[in-house]
Amino acid sequence: MRWITLLAAEDPTVTHHWLLPETPEIIYGGLASLVVVSALVKFAGPSIKKGFKARTERIQKEIDDAASAKARAEDDARGIRSALGDVASERSRMLQEADRQAEALLAEGRARIAAEVADLEAKAEADIAAARGRSADELRSQIAALASRATPIVVEATLTEATKKDLVESFIASVGAAR
Amino acid sequence: MSRDKIAAYADAVASIVEAEGQAERTADELFRVARAFESNDQLRTTLSDGTIPAERRQQVVEQLLGGRAQATTVQVVSFLVATSRVRDLPAIVDAVVQRVASGRDQHVAEVRSAIALTSEQEQRLAAALAKATGKTVDLKVVVDPSVLGGLVATVGDEVIDGTVRSRLDQLKTLI
Repeated sequence: MRWITLLAAEDPTVTHHWLLPETPEIIYGGLASLVVVSALVKFAGPSIKKGFKARTERIQKEIDDAASAKARAEDDARGIRSALGDVASERSRMLQEADRQAEALLAEGRARIAAEVADLEAKAEADIAAARGRSADELRSQIAALASRATPIVVEATLTEATKKDLVESFIASVGAAR
Repeated sequence: MSRDKIAAYADAVASIVEAEGQAERTADELFRVARAFESNDQLRTTLSDGTIPAERRQQVVEQLLGGRAQATTVQVVSFLVATSRVRDLPAIVDAVVQRVASGRDQHVAEVRSAIALTSEQEQRLAAALAKATGKTVDLKVVVDPSVLGGLVATVGDEVIDGTVRSRLDQLKTLI
């Protein structure tokens, strides 16, 4: 505010231009600036260049590191994608293997059950046949026993004296005709 | 009794029978007594019972055979009873019959029949057996109801069986 007050207080008619300084001031000031700039270029330039170079190198290194990191990340991503693919393939393979084993177990179980059923049927048929045979044998035995007891009784009852004489005559005739 | 003893007794009895005459008839009677002894349990038990005195058993023999058989037959049976050889009566008699028949160049043909045979049937049967076996046979007929019907003839080792009993046995075996 004070500076503005001073500007406002100055008289524009004192200098040749209210904005530009005096000509000598410009020359001296320009030369001094030139000297300062030259000194800066001569003495501070190398370190500034060195600093810029180092910064450039650091940035480049950082860029390279980023690129390398990106490449590694892409490799990792590819690996992960590949691993994911392998996992899916393995999962599919395991599922197929499980299905195959399940089918094999099922087929084996069916075959075993079929064999057991066949064995049971064969055993049952053999048992039935044996039981039938036993029954038939028992029946045959009973019939034979009854026949053995009944036959002599029936034969004896039917053998009359005439029949016995006929048997004697038949025996004599057959013996006589033997030679 | 051993075979030797049976043979010795048979030789002795055969000699007596031959010496007394009518050997064939006596042998025939002895044969019938032997068969009766075999088939009659009571007779066999009584005659072989050692607790009964031999004299009493000899009396039984004389009561049974006296008047029905020749004296020689009765004496032979009585002798075997007295010597406690009556258990071997069938074997001794069979041997005696064989010896008597052999003395006449004959072979004993033991025939078992369910019914008694007529003399005419016996002659025809003897002729038939002689023809069949090629031997002169001395026919000994035993009435044996157990054969049921028909005849069975044994001549030496040959057996000609035409009995109903054997047929029934065969049938039983088949059944």
